[in-house]
Amino acid sequence: MAAATRSQVISLYKMMLKESSRFPSYNYRTYALRRVRDAFRANREVEDPKAVERLMEEGEQMLALIQRQVSIGKMYEAQRTVVDAP
Amino acid sequence: MRRLEPLTWSLLTCLRFSRFSYNMAARVLQQCVRSLGRPSLRLCPVNLALRAAVAPAVPVHRPFSSAADSRRTRWLGQSRISSVGLLCRQYGDLPPLTLETIKDRVLYVLKLYDKINPEKLQVTSHFMKDLGLDSLDQVEIIMAMEDEFGFEIPDAEAEKLMTPEEIVQYIADKKDVYE
Repeated sequence: MAAATRSQVISLYKMMLKESSRFPSYNYRTYALRRVRDAFRANREVEDPKAVERLMEEGEQMLALIQRQVSIGKMYEAQRTVVDAP
Repeated sequence: MRRLEPLTWSLLTCLRFSRFSYNMAARVLQQCVRSLGRPSLRLCPVNLALRAAVAPAVPVHRPFSSAADSRRTRWLGQSRISSVGLLCRQYGDLPPLTLETIKDRVLYVLKLYDKINPEKLQVTSHFMKDLGLDSLDQVEIIMAMEDEFGFEIPDAEAEKLMTPEEIVQYIADKKDVYE
């Protein structure tokens, strides 16, 4: 159980980072990446299976939210800012 | 397009009733084509028909053809400059991968990762034991490698890659690079 959950957490982390890096807007992209990294680091010591379960569920919902926001962001793409890569 | 209509109409009537001589008709056509020989109108079907009609009758001094000629020579001039590059075409391809270039690129990506001290980094250093990273950092390193080399590394295999050496070996295997 523990091993499966571990690989699940890793794959959720990877998916969330990948989705976050798709934001067209620089501000949302960097915020999402930072937020995902910080949240996973903050909860790295959590051992309780129930807590892990709850956090995983939360993470799945956040992943869906990021996916929705990315596609909405692509619909209303604004002019690129200077900090964006060309 | 609407601007053309009176001209075409007069042209057609003069052809249909043939009151004018053939010469006259040709002159009218020529004038008409000259006035139409602008780039924006060059592709409209009426103009094409006119060109086809005029071509046998008036073989000299067609403004659009001279424009096309000058454009063609300009184009040729450009291609002459770049003809040196044509001798060794790259087809947009990257230089071939070797174990050495893979190693350089892997180390370059790792040096850019902000939690790795570039001075401590060795080819054989273990990410967790030697460089003090955690499994989340390792996932990010693998993602950076995916971006750098343009292919996906499955999670099951990614978690075994713990040193730069192993990453180089894995990429070389996947890209069919031996020696």
